Amino acid sequence: MAAADDKRVRVLVAKIGLDGHDVGARVIARGLLDAGMEVIYTGLRRTPGQVVRAALEEDVDVVGVSILSGAHLALLPSVRRMLDEAGAPDIGLIAGGVIPQEDIPALEAAGVERVFLSGTTVQEIVGHIARRYGERG
Amino acid sequence: MSKTDLSGATQADVAAIASAAEEWVHGPYRAATRRTPERCRFVADVGVPIKPLYTPADVSERGIDYLGEIGFPGEYPFTRGDRPGMFRTEPFVVSAYSGFGEAQQCNRRFRTLLEWGAEQILVALDLPTQCGYDSDDEMATAEVGQVGVAIDTLADLEVLFDGIEIDRVKRVGTLGNSIGPIVLAMFAALGERRGLDWSRYTVNLQNDPLKEYIARGTQILPAPAAARLASDCVAWCVEHAPHWSPMTVCVNHINAGGAGSSRATAIALANAIHYIETLLAQGYAIDQVAPLLHMFPDERHDFFVSVANLRALRRTWAKLMKERFGATAAEAMALRTTVYGHGQETLQEPLNNIVRIGFGTLAYVLGGASYVYIASYDEAVSTPTEESVKVALRTQQILAHEHGFTDTIDPLGGSYFVESLTHDIERQILDALGEIDGAGGALSVIDTGLGRRWMTEGAVRRQRALDSGDRPWVTVNLWPQQPDVPNTAFRVDPETTRRQTGRLARVKATRDPARVAAALAAIDEACRSGANMVPPAIEAVKAHATVGEICDRWRRHFGTFEPSTDF
Repeated sequence: MAAADDKRVRVLVAKIGLDGHDVGARVIARGLLDAGMEVIYTGLRRTPGQVVRAALEEDVDVVGVSILSGAHLALLPSVRRMLDEAGAPDIGLIAGGVIPQEDIPALEAAGVERVFLSGTTVQEIVGHIARRYGERG
Repeated sequence: MSKTDLSGATQADVAAIASAAEEWVHGPYRAATRRTPERCRFVADVGVPIKPLYTPADVSERGIDYLGEIGFPGEYPFTRGDRPGMFRTEPFVVSAYSGFGEAQQCNRRFRTLLEWGAEQILVALDLPTQCGYDSDDEMATAEVGQVGVAIDTLADLEVLFDGIEIDRVKRVGTLGNSIGPIVLAMFAALGERRGLDWSRYTVNLQNDPLKEYIARGTQILPAPAAARLASDCVAWCVEHAPHWSPMTVCVNHINAGGAGSSRATAIALANAIHYIETLLAQGYAIDQVAPLLHMFPDERHDFFVSVANLRALRRTWAKLMKERFGATAAEAMALRTTVYGHGQETLQEPLNNIVRIGFGTLAYVLGGASYVYIASYDEAVSTPTEESVKVALRTQQILAHEHGFTDTIDPLGGSYFVESLTHDIERQILDALGEIDGAGGALSVIDTGLGRRWMTEGAVRRQRALDSGDRPWVTVNLWPQQPDVPNTAFRVDPETTRRQTGRLARVKATRDPARVAAALAAIDEACRSGANMVPPAIEAVKAHATVGEICDRWRRHFGTFEPSTDF
């Protein structure tokens, strides 16, 4: 567990499925680190179960999943569901990558709080996480 | 100044031109920029500052010797082209990289591509296949047929090429970076089953696993084992099909990932050196193996850097083969290149990507690429639609036949700017290669994290330049627009997984289990003995052993890679 007086936001940056393109994920991880957050990166090719386990072990505030393979509709909702089932509904879930706009409502309905498409600046993502999770302490 | 100084100027001329150029920069040019400041900093993505003007003095001060450094197409050091006739005798090969869903629907797309005039087909495989998992594996969940076609057994490849005369197209093949011996075996078996001698068609593979650990991410095994299996493909072709191109060493993904084209080129060259040394240690000669290796350069941000990178790469390769490895055959020194035309594509107003990709591809054409693929304008969004694939193919045909782009060889050769840039980029590549050699070569790039460090540094720099507007990007940081992802985006049929796993089950139910077991035992034996993996792989695929079954034997023997959590 993070110390009670440590107010730094903890973020798990995750790659799920077989998609091996992780530059975007790593650039965002760097950006979050530069913004003073604590960042853990899962590395490639994780299952939703592994991501959820890492999120609980690392006691993060939010999980950011990068996905470019087209498997988002199957994999993202299962991350949300497994987080909830593990008693961690307060851990946030955001996503980024190649995701058609028309899929965003379905992902939001399944509990993905925000989808960032490519072309989003790192600052927008940092800003979103800081606003939403920076006040929790 | 040498007697073949490219500028053709005497020493006195050069001094006069240099001082006149100096006067111009500090006089009229500076005055102009005081009235209206320069638009931006003019630094190429690779970090080379771009001057306002290049003159014969720039060429001269770099000591560029025409006969020694530039020469003639098809002659050492191959700066101006890998063969004498270049596009005047045969334009670059118009190629299509395509694949999605199931073999049968994908076969229809291939036939359409060939009707439209594609001359070579490279199969895009789905991620489970590329990573060595069958469609019924838990790891394949939600990924079957997604970013490419699912191939579990030889039966799928036969359906995929049904009715397509593989001896009538210039090349067929796939990437198969981590499963090289299996896909090579499948294409060899495909010919055998059709009664086609291997001499009658040409197979091309990417089969470059080392870059997967740095950039692309389909690695299966520890890197040394993967490099050995990839080299086995080259060795097998030396013996059985020397006109095939079983390895295409990639700059592409490493640059796209952020390393910048010069450092990415150096990493790719280090990877090529590793494969070559593996083959030389097995007793092959450099003149036998080097002609079978192609490279896949990449530069998608700067047009002239792209031209210069291709020219510098051919020159660097020729010198490496000759000086480092003692090659004597021209084919060993003449590098053939495959390129994939990109621009800096956007989700905003994606039709504009047609123009970006067209210009990016034009640079490769002017740089003398041998095999040209091209991105579709909607590729940043999803698997390309039929319409966007057609536009991509027509773009290549227009570049090959209209506007006179291919009328003379190396048309930008001799440009003060392009020759200076070619020289500077060659230096950048050699400096980075020296750094890699000093660190211990290709495997150290992976093990020490040097490759990933270069990539992340570069990617962060690029992102900052785009976020700040230092690097202009129309519809993103200039005239910004909202992302526009069309709802007509290509979708894989949701029934794909069920149908594909059904087909796999039927193949497994009808094959000869004893033959499969014996073939897989022979795979085990080749793992242990270090014998070439391709012959037992051919037997295994003919017995309808699956991609996953063969990879499981590899995984059991060699172990699996450890994903890096560095960023």
